[in-house]
Amino acid sequence: MGRREGDGKIWLLAGATATGLGVLLCLIGWLAIAGLGAFWPLSVTEMQLRNGSALLGEIVFEDSGVIALRTSEIDRIGVAYRRVPRIDIVSQSQPADAITVVLDDGRRLFGRESTTSAARVFALASRPALEREVQHVNALDRLARMRLFFGNVGRFLATPPTASNLDGGVLPALIDTVVLVLLMSMIVMPLGIATAIHLHEQRSRSTRFVRSAITTLAGIPSIVYGVLGLGLFVHGVGGSIDQWFYADRLPVPTFATGGLLWASLTLALLTVPVVVVSVEEGLARIPAGLRDGSLALGATREETLWRLLLPAARPALLTGLVLAIARAAGAVAPMMLVGVVKLAPTLPIDGDFPFLHPSRQFMHLGFGIYDAALASSDAIRGVPRAYACAALLVAVVVALNLSAILLRHRLRERYRALEY
Amino acid sequence: MHADVALRTESLCLWYGARQVLHEISLSIPALRITALVGPSGCGKSSLLRCLNRLNDEIADSRTTGRIRIGEIDAHAKDTLVHDLRRRVGIVFQRPNPFPLSIHDNVAYGLRLLGIRRRSELDDRVEAALKAVALWNEVVSRLDESALDLSIGQQQRLVVARAIAVEPDILMLDEPGSALDPVSTLRFEELLHELARRHTIVLVTHNMQQAARVSDFTAFLHQGRLVEFGATDALFTNPRERQTEDFITGRYG
Repeated sequence: MGRREGDGKIWLLAGATATGLGVLLCLIGWLAIAGLGAFWPLSVTEMQLRNGSALLGEIVFEDSGVIALRTSEIDRIGVAYRRVPRIDIVSQSQPADAITVVLDDGRRLFGRESTTSAARVFALASRPALEREVQHVNALDRLARMRLFFGNVGRFLATPPTASNLDGGVLPALIDTVVLVLLMSMIVMPLGIATAIHLHEQRSRSTRFVRSAITTLAGIPSIVYGVLGLGLFVHGVGGSIDQWFYADRLPVPTFATGGLLWASLTLALLTVPVVVVSVEEGLARIPAGLRDGSLALGATREETLWRLLLPAARPALLTGLVLAIARAAGAVAPMMLVGVVKLAPTLPIDGDFPFLHPSRQFMHLGFGIYDAALASSDAIRGVPRAYACAALLVAVVVALNLSAILLRHRLRERYRALEY
Repeated sequence: MHADVALRTESLCLWYGARQVLHEISLSIPALRITALVGPSGCGKSSLLRCLNRLNDEIADSRTTGRIRIGEIDAHAKDTLVHDLRRRVGIVFQRPNPFPLSIHDNVAYGLRLLGIRRRSELDDRVEAALKAVALWNEVVSRLDESALDLSIGQQQRLVVARAIAVEPDILMLDEPGSALDPVSTLRFEELLHELARRHTIVLVTHNMQQAARVSDFTAFLHQGRLVEFGATDALFTNPRERQTEDFITGRYG
């Protein structure tokens, strides 16, 4: 038998798929490497310069002409970089007795234990801070550095930020992002499911119009939703609430300012089209025989919907949820208009009644990326931090989706024979 | 010859949009007997069934005239509750359509709609329905497993069990043999005789042998019109109409 016509096309399609997957894997790998690289403990380098002076610090950048060194940050974090032309360098070494004194605001001071004690290095700091730890990085073997690395990763995940987001962790942003997405899910699912049911049950000219309108909504840039949220929720609804219930506090806004509730409502608007489309497709895939069978047993349309169609469409509901989460978690632009802040003093959930505080401003991992990469005063610290935030955001989305997918997989197992 | 009439239609007409599917069907179906509806494809047999329990209401722009009486109830009267009517006139479709639920919950579905909540009562009635269709012994050990894992023949009996669990007066079956192999079909026909002791059965089939084997009465439909209706023996051995004779002897077309 000769080659069948169309074999070549199959290879083309497979190639396109492989290219897409490959790029995706590269992206995730790059994020992970660049993000995690920021946490690897660097050696302390000592440079003897031509003019007779000596510099001690971590090499953060080098090319053929210049080496950039992070030296002791006496005053503030992120200001002690020195660009040294290679021709000015007489020699460089990594003395085993070098010490790094890490302060609790993220500053680092460098010294050599043979000439200066850690206490004296610590005393160099002009602005008082607490000493967090003293590291002998150069003397550490790979295993010990690994331990230090994991300590850094752990601190990034589990502590609040310090010193204008250049150091410390992202725990509040992580919690806020997850709470935001969960709150959005709770709003968007009933809304989207109800819309999908309506469109499925009422097949008329007007629902065709509504359906195409909803598909169009899915294509609107997310920042437009931010403007909508700002005008509709923050100023409109929030402003009214303030006038009616918190008039005594005006002009200080209570609800008429960006907050978690408005942000999750905005995200719900943003994601409702994807939920509607996938739930409606799920309902349409259910064989007509099931519906007839239920009606023939004396069920009303409502009973059929609640007892049979929605349970059978559960995999589609979860698909909608997965897509909604993916779209919502990445939508930073609208969040900047409806309540995301660089540094929120409080978490939106805590032990005080009513435990969830939907009017509070919040932090966001996605905003953290923008802030670290573009709005920070220290690009050398900021950019790796942006990568780390990006990797974490991807991990959060993957984790949320994975739980929904696992759930869907279990339901599919149960309903698999339905897909005849 | 008809002691009791379970279901009577008078001048029943059905339209789908502008297309008239049934013309002036007047038919009296005797109680606790098996009545076969035969006729070529597209003659309106299935549409007639869907009229009788008003499933056609679900189809947009369908319209009926004439009357349907189920026992003492006028099916189209304003005070007739559709879901109550449908409970009294059960239907089993051509293709088995078990719900994506457990075997137990499939049979209990209609019972729960009736408001039966007590686990023991549900269990008893599920068991009775499954025994009535001779499925109980095959599934007793896996009542909580998905009904979709059953074989086609088992699924067909399951949907019959589901239909009779709510104790309908009339059970309509739309070509129940078409998805089954010959052996399952024969078993299924035996089952029909059992069921006819408690239910009036209306059987749509285009298998003449099946109609002759199983039914007490036969109605022959052609192009939406009732051509002939009578006792099966009489109709098959001595048809009054030429069309009927052509059809049952296979000369149709």
